[in-house]
Order: sequence, then C-alpha cells, then structure tokens
Amino acid sequence: MLEYITRRLGLMVPTAFLVTVAVFLLIHLTPGDPATVILAESYTPEAGAQIHKDLGLDKPLPEQYLLYVGRLFHGDLGRSVRNKLPVTQAIGERLSATLELGFAALIWSLLIAIPLGTVAALRRGRALDVVASGLTVAGISVPNFVLGILLILFFGLLLRVLPVGGFVALGESVPDNLSRLIMPALALGTFGTASNMRFTRSSMIEVLNQDYIRTARAKGAGWWQVVNRHALKNALIPVVTIVGLQVGAILEGALVTETVFGWPGVGKLAVESIFSKDFPVVQGIVLLSALSFMFANLLVDLVYAWLDPRISYS
Amino acid sequence: MRRAGILLLFALILSACGGGGGGTSTAPAGTPKTGGTLKIAQETEINTLDPNTSGLLVEREIYYNLYDSLLGIDAKLNFIPELATAWKYTDDKTLVLSLRKDVKFQDGTGFNADAVKFNLDRYMTSTDPAAARKSDLASVQSVEVQDPATVVIHLKRADATLLAAFVDRAGMMLSPTAVQQLGIKVAQTPLQAGSGPFEFVEWKRDDHLTLKRNPDYWRKDKAGRQLPYLDQLIYRPLIDLNAILASLKTADVDMARTVAGKDVEAVRSDSTLVYKDTPGLGYQGFELNVSAPPFNDPAKTKAVALAVDRAQILKNVVFNNGVLSYGPIPPASWAADPSEKIYDKPDPEKAKATATGFSFTLKTANTQDSIQTGQLIQAQLAKAGITVNLLPEDFAKLTLETRVQHQFDAALTGWSGRIDPDGNMFAFWHTGGSFNDGRYSKPQVDQLLEQARTTTDQAKRKQIYQEAQRIIVGDGVYVFTHHLNVAQISTKKVQNFMLIPDGINRLAEVWKS
Amino acid sequence: MSTAAPAYSAAEEQGLTIEEQQPAGLRQLVFDHPRILIGLLLLLVLVLVALLAPWISPHNPLSVNPDDARLPPGPGHVMGTDELGRDVLSRVMWGGRISLPVAFVAVGVGLTVGALIGLTAGYRAGVTDLLLMRLVDAILAFPALILAIALVAALGPSLRNAMIAIGIVQIPVYARLTRAQVFQLKALDFVTAARALGASPVWIIVRHMLPNLLNPLIVQVSLSAAFAMLAEATLSFLGLSAPPPTPDWGFMINTGQSFLINGNWWMTVGPGAAICVAVFGFNWLGDALRDALDPRLRR
Repeated sequence: MLEYITRRLGLMVPTAFLVTVAVFLLIHLTPGDPATVILAESYTPEAGAQIHKDLGLDKPLPEQYLLYVGRLFHGDLGRSVRNKLPVTQAIGERLSATLELGFAALIWSLLIAIPLGTVAALRRGRALDVVASGLTVAGISVPNFVLGILLILFFGLLLRVLPVGGFVALGESVPDNLSRLIMPALALGTFGTASNMRFTRSSMIEVLNQDYIRTARAKGAGWWQVVNRHALKNALIPVVTIVGLQVGAILEGALVTETVFGWPGVGKLAVESIFSKDFPVVQGIVLLSALSFMFANLLVDLVYAWLDPRISYS
Repeated sequence: MRRAGILLLFALILSACGGGGGGTSTAPAGTPKTGGTLKIAQETEINTLDPNTSGLLVEREIYYNLYDSLLGIDAKLNFIPELATAWKYTDDKTLVLSLRKDVKFQDGTGFNADAVKFNLDRYMTSTDPAAARKSDLASVQSVEVQDPATVVIHLKRADATLLAAFVDRAGMMLSPTAVQQLGIKVAQTPLQAGSGPFEFVEWKRDDHLTLKRNPDYWRKDKAGRQLPYLDQLIYRPLIDLNAILASLKTADVDMARTVAGKDVEAVRSDSTLVYKDTPGLGYQGFELNVSAPPFNDPAKTKAVALAVDRAQILKNVVFNNGVLSYGPIPPASWAADPSEKIYDKPDPEKAKATATGFSFTLKTANTQDSIQTGQLIQAQLAKAGITVNLLPEDFAKLTLETRVQHQFDAALTGWSGRIDPDGNMFAFWHTGGSFNDGRYSKPQVDQLLEQARTTTDQAKRKQIYQEAQRIIVGDGVYVFTHHLNVAQISTKKVQNFMLIPDGINRLAEVWKS
Repeated sequence: MSTAAPAYSAAEEQGLTIEEQQPAGLRQLVFDHPRILIGLLLLLVLVLVALLAPWISPHNPLSVNPDDARLPPGPGHVMGTDELGRDVLSRVMWGGRISLPVAFVAVGVGLTVGALIGLTAGYRAGVTDLLLMRLVDAILAFPALILAIALVAALGPSLRNAMIAIGIVQIPVYARLTRAQVFQLKALDFVTAARALGASPVWIIVRHMLPNLLNPLIVQVSLSAAFAMLAEATLSFLGLSAPPPTPDWGFMINTGQSFLINGNWWMTVGPGAAICVAVFGFNWLGDALRDALDPRLRR
C-alpha cells in the first residue's frame, strides 16, 4: 500500500510538470496583447512596448517559463494585468463565494441523491426505479447553464419569488445571501445529484447482494433496519470517493453557473479573465484547478485502493 | 416612438421654462434635503482612481465627484468656471488662468498655482507606462506660476482644444501633498487627495466604492446652502445590464447611466423610475481599412456606405434611443449642422452599381449589441451583392489588430465622444493620428484639422469642421450609423439631477427625497 | 461537476472483469433490452431532422427580418422569432447540423488518437508506456470543460477548434481502455506463441482485441458523444464556437438570455430543449447499452 502511494506521488511530479508547461503554453500562445487591456483607449505602441518590458513579455519563451516556475515555487502567481492585484489575492477574494456555492450544491445534491438512490436500489426494477433512472439521465443531460436560465425564467421572472442574480455577502445579510444562493446551487448541483444518485443506487445494489445482508434478512430484519444499520455505511464509501472527484472539479461547473447568475466567484473571474486576455489570472486559475483536481483524483484512487483488497497495484 | 417624442417635447418645454441650460432636469420638488446615501450602478469595474492613468468612462464618472477640474461645462457644452475663475489668451501661445482663492483640498492643503503646476507637470512628465494625459497636454510647453492665484500656460503652438482638455481628466487637480505621500497608492486609495464634493472612503474591487461628503467643499448652492447634499455615494459595478435594471426596480441602486436599448420602453413606462436622455457626444458605426484591399478601392467603400441601412440599425438594435449619424460631429455640438445629410437612405441598387461581388471580414466586439448590429449589416450588404463575414472578438484583441497592427478589413467600433469636435476627429483621420486605424491620409483633411486647432473663432471652426466632415464621410473611411443618447435612469427619490451630453453623473447638487 | 467521468473505474482498467465476449447481435440485444430502442429512435429523429433541415425547415435560418423581431410563438413561426426576426424553429433545426457533427468528430478524434496512444503504450510498454501515460495523465489532470475552454480560447474561437479541443479532452478515456486491453492480451499464452511464430502485431490486435473492445467501446462512444454535445453547447454559450450568424444552440441561448427579462422566453427554451433532448438521447442509449453489454450488471 505504502509502495502504491509513493509510486503515485512520484508519478504526479512529471504530470504536474507537464501541467505547468501546458498551462504556460496555452496562455502564452493565445493571440492578444495584455498591453491593450491595461491601456485601453490610451494605447500607443511605445506605451505598449514599455508594458511588455515591465511584464517580462519581451524575453524568449523558455526563459519566461523558467521565471514562471521559479515564481510558482515562491507561491507567486504573478499579477493581474487588468488591475495589478496579485493573482493569489484576486483568486482569494473570490474563493469564498465559489466555495459557498459549491458547498450548497453538494449538500443539496447529497440530501436528494442518497435517499433517492437507496430507495431506487430497494425498489429495483419497479416503477419508482425506472422513473428515478429516467430522471437521473435527464439530470446529467441538462447543461447547467440551461438549467440555470430555466430556473431564472420560472422562479425569478414568472413567479417572482426569488431575486435574480447578484450577490450579498453572508456577513451583510444572511437571508439576502441565501435567497440568491438557491437557484445557482440548484443549477450547479443537479448534475452531481444525478450522478451521485446513480452511483448510490448501483453501489447499494451491490452491497444488498452481499451474503451478510442476506443473512440479516433471513434473521428477520426489516429492509429499513438492514439498510440503516449495515448497508448504508458500506454502500456510501465508494460514493464518498465520487463526491471527492466532484469537489475537485468544482470550478468546472461553477464557470458557467456563476456567469449565468452573476455570482462573483472564481468561475466568473475565470471567464472574465479569458475574455479580457488577463493571462496571469487565467493561468493561475487553470493551474490551481488542475492541481486540486489531480489531488482529488489521487485521494479517490487511494481510498479505492484501501477499500478494495482485490486490486493489487504493483 | 411617439411616446418618446412627446416626452422629449415635454422635457424641452420644462427645461426652457426652468432656466439653466438645454439639458433635461427634474424641477426640484421643494427644498433640498441634506443627508442620505446614493447608490449608483456602473456597467464595468474601474481600474484606477488616478486621472493620470485612467482610460475608462466609468472612472471619469467617479472622478467628477472626487476631484475638481480647472474648468466645467454647462448643459450647452459652454465652459464655466470651476477651479479657474477666468481664462484668457493673451496671445496665441499664452493662456492665463485666474484661480479660486478659497479652495482647500480634502487633506487641508490649500489650492493654489503651485498645485496646478504640480498636477499639470505630473501629467506631462509621468513615467508610468500607462500615463494617458500626455496627448491631451501635448501642446503645452511649460506651466508658470505667476502668483498664488494666477497660472500662465506657455504653448508650443496655438491650441483651441486645450480648454476642453481642462474640463476632463487632464485638468483634474489633486493635492500635491497627498500625491507625494501616497505614491502609487493614489491609484487605489486616494485618501483626501481631491477637492471635490466627495472624498474617498474605501474601495472593495468588484463590490463597491464608497465616497463620503466633503464637509469643507467650497461650493454652495444658489440659496447659500453648503454642498453636497448627500452624505455618501456608493458605486457598484453590476456589469450585466439586466442586473442593473433589476437593481433599479428593487431600489437596490438609485441611479444608473445605462440600461439595454430593449428595456428603455419598459423603464419609461415604469412609474417608480425616472428616465432621461439627451443626444450624446459620441458616434457609432464601423471603420474601413483604406490602406489595404478591398477598401483601398474608393468605389468599394462608397458601395458599403450606400448599402447600409442606418435607420434599421437604429430601430432594431438601439430601439431608437439615439439619432441617425451623418458624421463625427455630434448633434449636441456647436459645430453641428443639421442640414448636412450624406448617405441618408440606403440605396442597395446604387451600391451594386458602384461596386459589387466582393467580400470582407467585419470584426466586432463580443457584446450582444455589436454582434446583432454586425448581423444586420451582413444582411443589408447582401442585398447589394457584398458578402460580409463576421468575426466577434474580445475588445483587447480587436484594439490590437486595429490600432496597433492595422490588420483588418472593417471593424465595428464607436467612440464615446469629446466636448470639442477636435476630440472626435483629429486623432482618427489626421495622417498618423493615434486612432487612425485605417491609415487614412488626405493632405486636405490634415490641413483643415490643423487649422481648426489653431483658430479660436468658433464660427470659423464650425465651417472648417463641416468641410472636413464632408470629405471624411464622402470618402467612406468610416461608415457612421448613429449617435447614441446618453441616459440617466434613477428612482423617483433622486432629485435635481441635470443631464449633460457628456453623460457624466455630477452629484454635488443632487439630493434624495 | 465533471462530465467526463469514464465509464469504467480503476478496477476495470486493470482488466479484472473483462471476459471474452461475443459481440451480441443487434436484434437480440434490442429484444432483450427495449431501452436501447428508445435511445436509438431518439437519436435517429435528431439526426434525420439535422440532415433534412434544408428541406423541412419552415424558413431560412439566416434570413433577417428586423420588423418581425421577437415575435412570440404563433402561426407562421411555431417557436417565435429571435432578436433579428429569424425563425427560431428553423434555427433550432439547422443547429443540429452544427452540434451533431462536432460531437461525432470530437469523439472520433478522441477515439482515434486515444486508441493509437493506448495501443502503442500497451504494446511497447516500458519507457514509451511511462511517457505516454504521463501525457494522458496530464490531460486528465484538468477538469474536462476547463481544458476545453482554455484550449479554444487559446486557439481562437471556431467550430474546428472546438472539435479539436473537445477531441483532445476525450483522448485519455480511450487511451486507457485500449491500453488495458493490450496488457491483458499480451499476458495470454497464445499471443506469446503467435508472436514467437512471427505473426504481425497488427494482426493479433485486430483478430483478438477488437471483439473484446467492441462492447465497452460502444458504450463509451455513446457517453462521449453526450459529453461532447454538452461541451460544445457550453463553448458556444461562451461565444467560443462557430461565429454568428451560424445557428448554434448554445450561442442562441446566450443571446436569448438577455431577453428573458423582456418576457421573450422562446428564444432560450427552443435551443435549450434541443440540447437537452440530444444529450439525453446519447446518455440514455449509452446507459441502456451498458446495462445490456456489461456482464457485471446482469441480473
């Protein structure tokens, strides 16, 4: 086991290296000049050249990459070209909003997915299961921005029960914050809900087929008791690993959801930065999201390895 | 459309009776109330609070309430005294400014000629790569302090546009003490650096910017009351026009400068909101690159100009919140001549006869309105047998390709407009001008534009600009479609706001009921 | 949340549970699992509508009629008109001609390149395998959508680049799948024997791997197509796909979104429904196929 962990961590190093190269190349080969963003209407070629010098953009590419990696090791992700803020600060300011959104999406998804998945497993093959299965396929088929817009249409504009867009910090007003959180969390969490439900269901089915469950049933335990006491725990462990992946990929879904709802998180920052050619910020966000995703993947694989003694990872 | 016309008529009558300029304003409902917070929505986040490096319209909006300028303008775009009480050209190259003696900056430093010299020198000699005021002050040779209340500006050449520059950022005065103390932080936290009606409190990026009343502001209203009336201003970058509209409706914000054209009708008929507009100083349309094929062929530029249906764009994209444009001179300007109408109605047949069967790429910004306009133009030119390929790009890339690399066929970019017609023309169509993306060069135009700069006779300047406009429009280097109105939307509680064609929210005399 | 979840977990990757299977006859398959039929029919309708759009669409999707802008659904325009007066239904129909090919091409790219990498890595093993798999890991390190967006933003927004970007994102799944198969096969005695006798590796692969690979591949292709459509919709929503005036579902939703506040709901609901139906079809089919073909889930 330890050998496996060390090997995986060791393999992560060249992968991480490749990731930084990929991110660096991706951004620097993008056509577009950050100098025009900084100077806007007052752009002149001379001022532009000066900005290039200041940002080190006139050096050869490999040299720029080495400088970039060097700074990375100091935790320096550079400065945003739009407003000169350190990238770490720009991301940090927005992180809590994204985390709040992601957390809310996760909570509601689990609250729905686990009970529904369990029930579907128990009533396997019957009407409820079929309907639930249909719903989950639908759930993973609706793009979260489409869902977001439909929610806005329905709850925001038609019924007018929820405020549309904007953000009020928790510190300022809890009800205002929560009322604006509902729709984006729903939009973001639906995909995860559907996935988790399917996974819970299949995992639960496997567990319920185990011998010790049959024994318990034979001894006269009711389904509910069996599920609560024995099955749920074991069925949920693999689900936790999937959830781990979803947490790692939180930024992916947040990108469009935050844009649709005007939620000021890291996802919206990413989209804004992509469109305004703010290289350092995009670089920073993509890098961080890749690293956290990689890390989450590693954790998931480790948990798998620990769980399933059949698998030898030598 | 009719409703808008009636409203405009009503507003004109009201303003004619109410005295003051030709701008629209609300008749004050009783005595101004002091106190209260005004929340203003902006459509983008600002980058800096330092006039030296500023490039955005939303920044100017804030500056006019934070800093004072040497000169101000009224609703007819005439110069009025602000920090300078009088100005006189003793000869072509010498401008003498008399200054107010009772102004203190928010940090207590007295305002005087030394402060003026400090600020102007700072703008002219700044080593910041983003310094943007140098071209505004390009004609200034030196600034001389004659006495604490008199400044003499020596010019390299005659410049009729300098006074207009002093109304905007190049004439904004900051406290020398504060600037020296704050250093680069003046761009983020200009504490007590201005002399304007409000002073800086805090700025949380992408969230809000707060200003509070300056208790020592030098201006009083007509009844002798201390200005400003309001306690506090909060600016919020809401970015999305729909979000801005929604916030106005729920009174989350009290005031905004824009809503989407499609929503204007609804806003006008909303009884909780007040909508005012007036023709602005800018123009919209698209530029053609006359230095390369296909548009180095004058017949093709003319064909495009003939085939475009301006009224259709104005109606479909702008919902008639503007007027048709026949050139760069805005209708609000003294240089405008409403009888000049080149390329009034589209004529696809004539266009076809002039030049047809070619194609080009029209680059637009990534905004909804730009893309919609582009598609309309595409359909309109197709009627004349001209194929348009659309390429939406983000603004930075567009600027790079047009302004720096001059690599484009056509680009849909407008101009927000300046008070003086020179600001709408010189840099664009003078040979080598910094905004001359299409590398247009006509000695005749150069001569006219230079002449207009050095003549101080306004009537003569009008004539010159009209002639220059005729040539520029006729050559089709820029296809003018419309002039946008500047607008002001506020809740009913906002009182005494005067809308000036530059569209800036000046809030010193605004109060909230 | 990640939409590129591979069809098989790490366990399957090791080839633990893949048995030698006969690819089931299609008729038998559908007979045993009617759910497959539903998925196939749905997709057939979609493909037909897209193919026949030039003939069956009521209007020209590009014809601009500013005077008829933003009309609600009614006679003459079953789904109403958009901001430039174009018929929404026609644009939705023609939109399939953009989204469906993107999905197919992207999956094709991912499949071909991925299989090539997997085969090479599996067959050559050693350092080649190590390096190639690190490349695959590097792609997997990015959340799929983020990588696609970053790629298109870097290459420049266009349909072709969207296909390439989404294709690249699909590579790892197919690489891993094929690689696992090759490893499993290499261990079998008869393969070693065949190689000793001088049989060409290509022949071995084709003869023995393909039948085993077919089932999981079919399932994965269907699910990949679902993801590809989702990704293309997201990219075009962000303005990173085909440029206007091309009728592209995601972009139509983006434009339509600003008119929601004016009550013009049809501009978003039309293309939105189309995307959902298409993705649903592929997902449903993939699920049904997986149920039918995966021995583990057989009752």
